[in-house]
Amino acid sequence: MDIFLQLAVSGIALGMIYAVIAFGYQLTFATSGTLNFGQGEALMLGALVGLSLAGNVLGGPYLNYWLMIPIVMVFGALQGMVVEWIGVRPGIKTRSEFGWIMSTIALAIIFKNTAENIWGKDDLPFPSPLPEAPFQILGANVQPMQVAVVVGALLMMLAVELFNRKSIYGKAVVATSNDRDAAGLVGINTGRVISFSYALSSMTAACAGVLVAPLTLTGPTMGSALGLKAFAVAIIGGLTSGLGAIIGGLILGVAETFTGFYVSTGYKEVPGLLLLLLVLTLKPAGLFGKTAIKKV
Amino acid sequence: MLSIRNLHAGYGKVEVLHGISIEVPKSKVVTLIGSNGAGKTTTMRAVSGMIAPASGDIRLGGRPVATLPPHRIARAGMAHSPEGRRVFATLSVTDNLRLGAFPRLTFGRARGDVEGDMERVFGLFPRLRERRNQLAGTLSGGEQQMLAMGRALMLCPDVLLLDEPSMGLAPRLVEEVFRIIAQLKSEGITMLLVEQFAAAALNVADYGYVLENGRISASGNAASLKNDPAVQAAYLGRGH
Repeated sequence: MDIFLQLAVSGIALGMIYAVIAFGYQLTFATSGTLNFGQGEALMLGALVGLSLAGNVLGGPYLNYWLMIPIVMVFGALQGMVVEWIGVRPGIKTRSEFGWIMSTIALAIIFKNTAENIWGKDDLPFPSPLPEAPFQILGANVQPMQVAVVVGALLMMLAVELFNRKSIYGKAVVATSNDRDAAGLVGINTGRVISFSYALSSMTAACAGVLVAPLTLTGPTMGSALGLKAFAVAIIGGLTSGLGAIIGGLILGVAETFTGFYVSTGYKEVPGLLLLLLVLTLKPAGLFGKTAIKKV
Repeated sequence: MLSIRNLHAGYGKVEVLHGISIEVPKSKVVTLIGSNGAGKTTTMRAVSGMIAPASGDIRLGGRPVATLPPHRIARAGMAHSPEGRRVFATLSVTDNLRLGAFPRLTFGRARGDVEGDMERVFGLFPRLRERRNQLAGTLSGGEQQMLAMGRALMLCPDVLLLDEPSMGLAPRLVEEVFRIIAQLKSEGITMLLVEQFAAAALNVADYGYVLENGRISASGNAASLKNDPAVQAAYLGRGH
């Protein structure tokens, strides 16, 4: 029983990271119909920039962990805007349907190579800002940082949701997701909304990076697998549902830790990907997504 | 107030409008009539910036707007209630209306009394007040049409473009829409109206233009167009 709970706790913390990245995919998909396939690299860059500021690589530490977070968020936002500006905007302008897929993947590879040149290919430890000694909940060992991951992830998603519901700028984002042409007609600069959604999406990923880094290792390759699995989560949960991202993330996270323990770590990725195939066959819009009907 | 000169526009390489000119004087209602495919909606789209004109001059209150993106044209004072309503389906009626005033709420345009204007829109369309907390996507077609018009009015526009406001509505609602257009006219709102009900449109309008295959084939006083035998034969017909 103890081990069962233990696995659930690890799975939930991991799942919430998937959920945040999946949420980032949803943000840009809603406004522009495009995805940043470099979400995982945005997370990786956030973690490495955070490590450089708060850790002892590159001559640091310069800042304490909590003061570093806002700077990483600004960095993430700028990085997202660069991706939109170089990789996505030209395609949207020429109404190219699939150009963004290759260009966001290409940018992701460039970011990864750049990171390897700056920080090296090896994984680096990220000093934990919270005590590493676990505490007990119902017999399971919980690390304080795992709680921080779950709380931080939920807070980020809640903040975006509140912004969208309460502020006129957030409503402009929702209007752009509803109908980009009509949003332009009421005076919303939809190009800027799309750019903003990329900034927001990379910002949440960068923030997720510094939250998860103390639990894992930090390095140029940390993002690729996370980004890919979070993409699976976004498809499982549905590209239009924030709740879907959370549920999908938790399902995948827990499935991984359980399979890793009860079957074999070699197979831990299998159930999530099987679920992905199952969802794509039975409910292509995702568990919580609305079925898109294309009217002709 | 709105002046369109020698406008050429289309989609990709296909030109739909082959040089049309329309004048909409301040506080007047001008209607653009013509058969399906003549280019009425294309004209509206080019004027509000939804499609970029290939050439020609469009001035709003003397200011050239032909090369501006749609949001800048809206900020300059042009409101467009588009064909097919295009309301924001997942937002409430109130939020749709508030977004109609987006430039006024975000320093893009003189703010004025947004809440008061919303009351005014609710006065024009009492159904919208009843449903103000409902999501726009759940409204009936007629209610969505009212919302699209109300949303455009929330800009406090210098010129209001109405594209097929009666499309797909029950006859009783069509009458209601024209009653509201007449009321807006009496308040001095400048309008360019595209309508398939040519007779009703010419009744409410001051001037009319007939669009045929992307060219203006006739224009003049609404009353004289209504009595023009050629116009009658082609667009008014018996029973209109």
